Amino acid sequence: MKLTKEYIDNILVIVIEDKEANLSKAEQFKELMLQEVESGARNLIISFKNVEYLDSSFLGALVAVLKKLLPLNGKLVITELNDDILNLFTLTRLDKIFTLKSTLQTSLETF
Amino acid sequence: MNKTVLLVDDDLFQLKLYEKLLQNNGYICRIALSVDEAEIILNNYDVPDLIISDYEMPDKNGFEFRKRLLKNNLLKNVPFLFLTSVNDEHFIQQGLDLKAIDYMAKDMPPTRILSKINNLMLAVREHYERSLSEVKGIAEKLNLRNIPRSAPILKNFTIQYFNQSYQEQPGGDFIDFIKINDRFTFVILGDVMGKKWGAWFFSFSFLSYVRSAIRLCVFDGDFALPTILHKLNRVVYADEFLADIFSTISIVLMDDEKSSLCYAGAGDLPLLKFDSNQKDIVSYQSDGILLGFSENAQYSELEITMEADDLVFLVTDGMIDFEINGEKKSDMELFKSKLRELKKNNHPTEEIVDNLFNKHTSQVDDCSIIIIKRTQNEVD
Repeated sequence: MKLTKEYIDNILVIVIEDKEANLSKAEQFKELMLQEVESGARNLIISFKNVEYLDSSFLGALVAVLKKLLPLNGKLVITELNDDILNLFTLTRLDKIFTLKSTLQTSLETF
Repeated sequence: MNKTVLLVDDDLFQLKLYEKLLQNNGYICRIALSVDEAEIILNNYDVPDLIISDYEMPDKNGFEFRKRLLKNNLLKNVPFLFLTSVNDEHFIQQGLDLKAIDYMAKDMPPTRILSKINNLMLAVREHYERSLSEVKGIAEKLNLRNIPRSAPILKNFTIQYFNQSYQEQPGGDFIDFIKINDRFTFVILGDVMGKKWGAWFFSFSFLSYVRSAIRLCVFDGDFALPTILHKLNRVVYADEFLADIFSTISIVLMDDEKSSLCYAGAGDLPLLKFDSNQKDIVSYQSDGILLGFSENAQYSELEITMEADDLVFLVTDGMIDFEINGEKKSDMELFKSKLRELKKNNHPTEEIVDNLFNKHTSQVDDCSIIIIKRTQNEVD
């Protein structure tokens, strides 16, 4: 899958470049994120600005990354979700476990 | 579906030549002039179906590339071929020892190179299908089912359920009915996050835990859904085997004497009720978070009164995925409005289900729906 990543201060900002975040990408995404966490990343922002559709496999991967990060006092902010995906997060209470922000700027301000 | 091949060679002319050969024969190619470039491509795109690499390249050579791939869990099983002009026997053996499937000399005629690649892809496909049919056969023999054969018969309710698999493979949706006695029956709908066989496999762990949690609570005379879900979640959370596997669940407790329902859920989609008097759909949203995420998650239950002909719908997320103008989206409101229209026009249940399943222009996940209907009061 296509990702871009950059550090803004000590915050790792990941932008998913694919339109569809699905099963074929979920495992690879999880591995890459867990590698970042293992290498010391604790403050993460993941931007979905290019993503139009996200399936439950990919959601599972996101939850796994968050579960790994929390005991390490890490933080994961998810940002720039389209309305359909945001709605899915709310419907399934994922909005209770993730920090969701509408823009990159407001995401950065949470750290 | 077109297969993707990653070609790695420091000679651009050769790369373009093989790219053209493969593209003309239906393959999608990605090309890299070095191992570093290849690794960037592997990180940024989907895992390819085949990797073909040269041996002699500046910086890192083909052997080093292969060794690095073998250390990567995601990539170590991708078929790998060496295509090189080095044709020393010792070298060939070394390449094959690195679990490269084959070695091809660059002076081989292009048609033969293509045939080798085609045969390899065919063999991989056949091997996959054979393994799949073996697993299916074993599952069948062991009577492993995450969807039951039939629903219990009750006095004041009927239960119907439908499951449609994704690409003819079982998935992570699971359904169960646990009839405790003539009065109480539990209805369960869960969805392990993920798809196909992986999710299917884990659904049995979840199903076992659900059955145990319900039975153990009932033995203690406790029918409260929040208690059942709390215990279920704690045991799932404690299971290291399920550390990064999560599931949604909806549980309905049916009281066949009082003709009422109780509902609780974790990370599930809202339960939908069709009110036969108002001719409208009402949503009931549970408050629990996904099973296995947090040790002390809290749950609460909702009571749902049911008049004659009222219906309750439980669905998994595959039901609300739609493809419109080639774009996929999840849309609960669209699902609700379709359901509302179908009910308003008095379509029979089978037709409704058929419509909801098949009108997805492109199904992207396994889909399940359970429909509970309150039947007419019996006349004594």
